[in-house]
Amino acid sequence: MERKTSKLTNVFLMIIFFILYAPIFFLIYYSFNSGGTMYHFESFTLDWYKELFSDMRLLIIVLNTLVVALLSALFATIIGVIGALAIHEVKKRSIRNGLLSLNNVLIVSPDVIIGASFLILFTISGYKLGFYSVLLSHIAFSVPIVVLMVLPKLSEMSSSLVDAARDLGASTWEVLIKVILPFISPGIMAGFFMALTYSLDDFAVTFFVTGNGFSTLSVEIYSLARRGVSLNINALSALLFLFTILLVVVYYFITQRQKLNAVGVKK
Amino acid sequence: MKQLVRVFIAIAIVSALLLVAISKLNDTQGYSGDNTLTIYNWGDYIDPDLIKRFEKETGISVVYETFDSNEAMMTKVKQGGTSYDIAVPSEYMIEKMREEDLLIPIDHSKLPNLKNIDERFMDLPFDPDNKYSIPYFWGTVGIVYNPELLDGKEFKSWNDLWDPELKNEILLVDGAREVMGMGLNSLGYSLNDTNKTHLREAKEKLDTLTPNIKAIVGDEIKILLANEEAPIGLVWSGDAADIMSENEKLDYVVPEEGSNLWFDNMVIPKTAKNVDGAHQFINFILDAEVSALNTEWVSYSTPNKAALEFMPEEMVTDERFYPSAELTEKLEVYENLGQANLAFYNELFLEFKMHRK
Repeated sequence: MERKTSKLTNVFLMIIFFILYAPIFFLIYYSFNSGGTMYHFESFTLDWYKELFSDMRLLIIVLNTLVVALLSALFATIIGVIGALAIHEVKKRSIRNGLLSLNNVLIVSPDVIIGASFLILFTISGYKLGFYSVLLSHIAFSVPIVVLMVLPKLSEMSSSLVDAARDLGASTWEVLIKVILPFISPGIMAGFFMALTYSLDDFAVTFFVTGNGFSTLSVEIYSLARRGVSLNINALSALLFLFTILLVVVYYFITQRQKLNAVGVKK
Repeated sequence: MKQLVRVFIAIAIVSALLLVAISKLNDTQGYSGDNTLTIYNWGDYIDPDLIKRFEKETGISVVYETFDSNEAMMTKVKQGGTSYDIAVPSEYMIEKMREEDLLIPIDHSKLPNLKNIDERFMDLPFDPDNKYSIPYFWGTVGIVYNPELLDGKEFKSWNDLWDPELKNEILLVDGAREVMGMGLNSLGYSLNDTNKTHLREAKEKLDTLTPNIKAIVGDEIKILLANEEAPIGLVWSGDAADIMSENEKLDYVVPEEGSNLWFDNMVIPKTAKNVDGAHQFINFILDAEVSALNTEWVSYSTPNKAALEFMPEEMVTDERFYPSAELTEKLEVYENLGQANLAFYNELFLEFKMHRK
């Protein structure tokens, strides 16, 4: 089904993309400004990038942010997939809906409340705030997202697929590994990336559970609000933007290769 | 499936490598020693070189954490979980923290440099005898304006804002005490006035200002003014300093009737583990030369009298940030008016915000 996209759709698409990307490019453009402000471009300089790389504290914070995002997304994906499978297995409709609602309440409840309750939980249990408290809370708020991403894929899967596998002598474990997981893997991947982005830019929850010298980028940038953000943050945003683009390109190539494999000869 | 496992293992390996890198970097920063001091401050509110210098001089390694609002800071201190040795709240928050018993009294005998602080900024109502707090920076509330966009119009008095020519030109900061204070000051009342008739009067007067008001905004007021979206704004002097460093055309004035005087003071919260180190740090900051360097970097007004000698002439003589004695007399710190009065202030402010012509 190849349909010609009309000129109008293309124009519309261009406008939307422009609106979405213009602020980012605006930020990046001013990261090369020697004037030090965001509204008057003086001359080209790489000073802000130099300053960024000489600021050890900021670099540690960036690395912290990345590690927390990667690990929390990883664990949340594993737990979320198990959770989705469990919810999918529940036969009684009322119980299943109850479980789903419990899952969704976590998504819609305000971050500030989640953050404050985590803070109370950690301090009451005498747990020191720091890397692990941030990691645990990020895993906690990412799990419901992953569940939500994986469940539709599970319901999409026809039950006859599983029945067929069983008829052909597959054990429960084999059905899971060889049939179900490959089928829902796009959902898993989507869930992983959602969890990753959620963790990267979360401020409200993270603020409450950071401490003892451990901090993340969003907390740091928010705290600059009173004094004004300097251009090395622009430089950092530019680099993170490039990094994200790179990730997307890599992800694209991986999926392309999978498609080729799927069409070509099975290995 | 293979694909999934491969991706996940790759992520785990990358994370492990990053963790190793972080711990290596932390070691170079010396964050792993026992003798640490955790400072909880506003973002970008101290010259980072001074922290390095303090570490060199004392052998204490400093962990610097940041917050974005007084309320958020207090929540974290109240809950514990982190051992903050020093925090830098604003004056009204110091009063609250004192009431909730979250502060450790400061031992003045350990602070030989305390004599550098200007008498005017000591022993104020929010912390009698400076038992719990030591001034870090101070400032005022006033008017930022753009002479170029206003054909050289000058502001001397709060009442100049009521000029009918300034239709739709003024930005106000979204604070009940600040805006009501402006109304009270313009009538010659104290901005801690609790007389209901006076407050009503001030609100009525503010209502007549509405045609001139473009918007009532939060932190974005700085960007809006620097980008010349509006020619006039009611702001804190700290914000004014930031705005003027962004855009040199702008100017700042504290009206002659008087205005608010605000403080950010250093305190030692109950969570402190290194009380001795905290005193050392406060004393270090109070040193005249250190304070001068810090003031140049932060560009707010310093309460440190001795530091003024080490600072550039044009900074010290800048009346906008170091007002004359005569005007300083008329500046008032916000007093804690009690719940009922504060509610009345907020109510009037809300009524004023809803009053649109």
